[in-house]
Amino acid sequence: MVLRGLSLEADEGEIIGFIGADGAGKSSALNAIAGVIKFEGKISFGDLVYSNPKESQKLKPLLGYMPQGIGLVLYDTLSVREHLDFFADVRDLKKDAAFEEYEKRLLEMSGLSGFLNRRAGDLSGGMKQKLSLICTMLHRPALLILDEPTTGVDPLSRLELWEILKQNAKERGTVAIISTAYMREAQKMDRVLLFDDGEIIPTLGDDDASLEESFFQNARKKNKILPEIKISNAKRVANAGEIVMNAKGVTKKFGDFTACRAIDAQLKSGEILGLLGANGAGKTTFIKTLLGLLQIDEGELYLLDKKISDANDRKELKSKIGYVSQRFALYDDMSVRENMLFFASMHKIDAKRSLELIDKYSRELGFFDYLDDMPKDLPIGINQRFSLATAILHEPIILFLDEPTSGVDVIARAQFWKLLKELKEKMGMAILITTHYMSEAEFCDKIVLLKDGEKVADDSVLNLYKRFPNATSFEEIFLEFYK
Amino acid sequence: MRFRVVKAFFVKELLELIRTKIILMPYVMPIMIVILFGYGIKMQVVGARVLIIDNDHSKISALLTQKFQNSRYFNAALSNQSEAEALREMKKANLDAILIIPPSFEKNLLKNVKSELGIFVDASFPSRANTVETYVEGTVLSLASEMGAPKSVITLNNRNLFNEALRDEEMIVPGLLGLVLFVAPAILTALIIAKEKEKGTIFNFYSSSVTKLEFLIAKLSVAFTLHSLNVFILFALVVYLFDLPFRGNFFLYWLSSELYILVSLGMGLLISILVSTQILAVVLTLMLTMLPAFMYSGIIMPINSMSGEAYYIAHAYPVMYYNHIVYDAFLVGSGFESAKNVEYLLILALYALGFFLVGLLLLKKELKS
Repeated sequence: MVLRGLSLEADEGEIIGFIGADGAGKSSALNAIAGVIKFEGKISFGDLVYSNPKESQKLKPLLGYMPQGIGLVLYDTLSVREHLDFFADVRDLKKDAAFEEYEKRLLEMSGLSGFLNRRAGDLSGGMKQKLSLICTMLHRPALLILDEPTTGVDPLSRLELWEILKQNAKERGTVAIISTAYMREAQKMDRVLLFDDGEIIPTLGDDDASLEESFFQNARKKNKILPEIKISNAKRVANAGEIVMNAKGVTKKFGDFTACRAIDAQLKSGEILGLLGANGAGKTTFIKTLLGLLQIDEGELYLLDKKISDANDRKELKSKIGYVSQRFALYDDMSVRENMLFFASMHKIDAKRSLELIDKYSRELGFFDYLDDMPKDLPIGINQRFSLATAILHEPIILFLDEPTSGVDVIARAQFWKLLKELKEKMGMAILITTHYMSEAEFCDKIVLLKDGEKVADDSVLNLYKRFPNATSFEEIFLEFYK
Repeated sequence: MRFRVVKAFFVKELLELIRTKIILMPYVMPIMIVILFGYGIKMQVVGARVLIIDNDHSKISALLTQKFQNSRYFNAALSNQSEAEALREMKKANLDAILIIPPSFEKNLLKNVKSELGIFVDASFPSRANTVETYVEGTVLSLASEMGAPKSVITLNNRNLFNEALRDEEMIVPGLLGLVLFVAPAILTALIIAKEKEKGTIFNFYSSSVTKLEFLIAKLSVAFTLHSLNVFILFALVVYLFDLPFRGNFFLYWLSSELYILVSLGMGLLISILVSTQILAVVLTLMLTMLPAFMYSGIIMPINSMSGEAYYIAHAYPVMYYNHIVYDAFLVGSGFESAKNVEYLLILALYALGFFLVGLLLLKKELKS
């Protein structure tokens, strides 16, 4: 069962927030309210009452629903203009002057007016979410249900999305139910429901600190906190302070579009470098060029003092580099142990040594009890740990992590960062990480901030705070650069 | 049903198909199949190795032998071997057929007394054996008619009654229409519905007031429109490229083809309800349409010579009914006058309607839970 005994009432114009980790039951609750999944119980909206998807057909003209996933409801080959036309036709909207004005306003609010002819597939993640949102709002729904509209969206786009929502609630009295994985967004809601394991847990207060505390208390009560992490007798892979990666003027173009323009960046052993930027700023492209998944058009790249010019140069470096991709490249049909053995054999670690390492890491990283389970049956926090363990089996000097914490709950995220710190301090690893959680930036030693394919900041977190003395959080610093 | 909603989906679908270039699939695939199979499957046999054992040693038996030796279909040799020896040769795959002329063959023939010619055909490849047997029978029969003897000497296979020339194209190509028009529309339909499920855009249907009927009509009409053009393209291909005669009623051909496309669309619709990824939709549709359409279409084996389960499966699949109409349209030409054609046309209509209604019933505006 994914959701038990949820009761909820909402007033006109109210924005209700569902907060919780992946798999906590938020999406199931939203699907049920939207009437697109079977459920037990009863839902009423105004005079409408429904208790199954079939009966909810009456609600559909009033409903605006945006399911979870970036650009999920968009058609990649259709332009922004064609999307608006399609949704207007499907919703059977009268195209009068009032409609045109409303449409124009939505486009302006979302900043999409200048991209009418761009195809959805070519929009950045944040723009896709904004287009999805205005398509969902085009028929002025009385009930707006949004499932994690801001996940994977940069802070700037997030602010803009919220502005549209706030305005809509105020002007039209729309009831909005919005789920999010960001505690910080709780402030923007009128009321917040905390989800955990299919249940609503009590809230201690409205600010994000109390919300986080609510989750911790609940986890403690249910005895659910993941085991602590500790790395013992780690072999040092490098002395702190050596330059292990040096990118000079790295440029990558796609046709006329320059995704990365002359980026310089340095990574030292025993250092965590945070790569930040809005959607479409060039983070992923940059990390892919560093990994050799994309060819560099201009500039130079040195990894461990070796100049990289083609794939051959990387061959011998493979054993020195570890990589955890955004979606954990695990095989779903193999158990955790089998997955790890497979990756160990790819790195030519002999079987006996592999088993020792698996035993060691699984105990120290607290997933020993899960070794014979399939990854898909495990909490995402555990998958994240064993993906990381897999990436460090061969004791690499450099570790690349692409949004490893997306969708992971607060508690697991905090423990994950502790683990990274251990790797950095005890083993001297150099870690390059991308993230959308600005609060995580504070754990990095150095920040490289990208904007429109260019580097706009490269400094320590402390120095950045000095530069913007009025900032109370890193998110505010981030937004300063995007003003 | 609101026309505007259907049109919106229709236009969107067409734009997507054009921009992803999938629009080529409905045309490239059928044309490829027809050309590949049309030229590729050769059941025609040239130079079959026949051993003739003449126990009569008469003028007529010599004439028969000569007829075999003069035919390009046969590579015939006269021998004094015993039957057992000849069969041993066949076992070693040195012979395709053995013809045994009985003693007093000439005498019986002149007296109109039934005489029995022994024919052994190597049946390791059944369809080739079938053809060789037909050729041998045909040759013997032509001798009998030259001599003015009654035809009861040898019974003939029905298969070459309309097909005097024994050209493979005439045997196979009309059947290929029944194959491609069954496979291709089903795949396109299954694909354009599964695509929405796989990507998540299906939520635009789930969470809006669009009805099941509107959604299905929109989806099916795209595939139907695109494939309707195929009815003419394939006709041109068959008549001009493969040089087949068209003896029947074009209206009947067109009507039955459109109905048959609807049947195929229904098939694709049912499959798309079961699956939620495009790859599964394609694989499943290919499996459920391609193999049976080929096996039970009458291309490689006449349906009236099937028995037991095979006979029932052949009748359960709509392929057989369409093929009958198409063979008739190209090679016979009895048109609407043939009661069987009309009956089969109705059966096709029932299939189309049935599939659509079942699909409409099974399609749910909700996520699988």
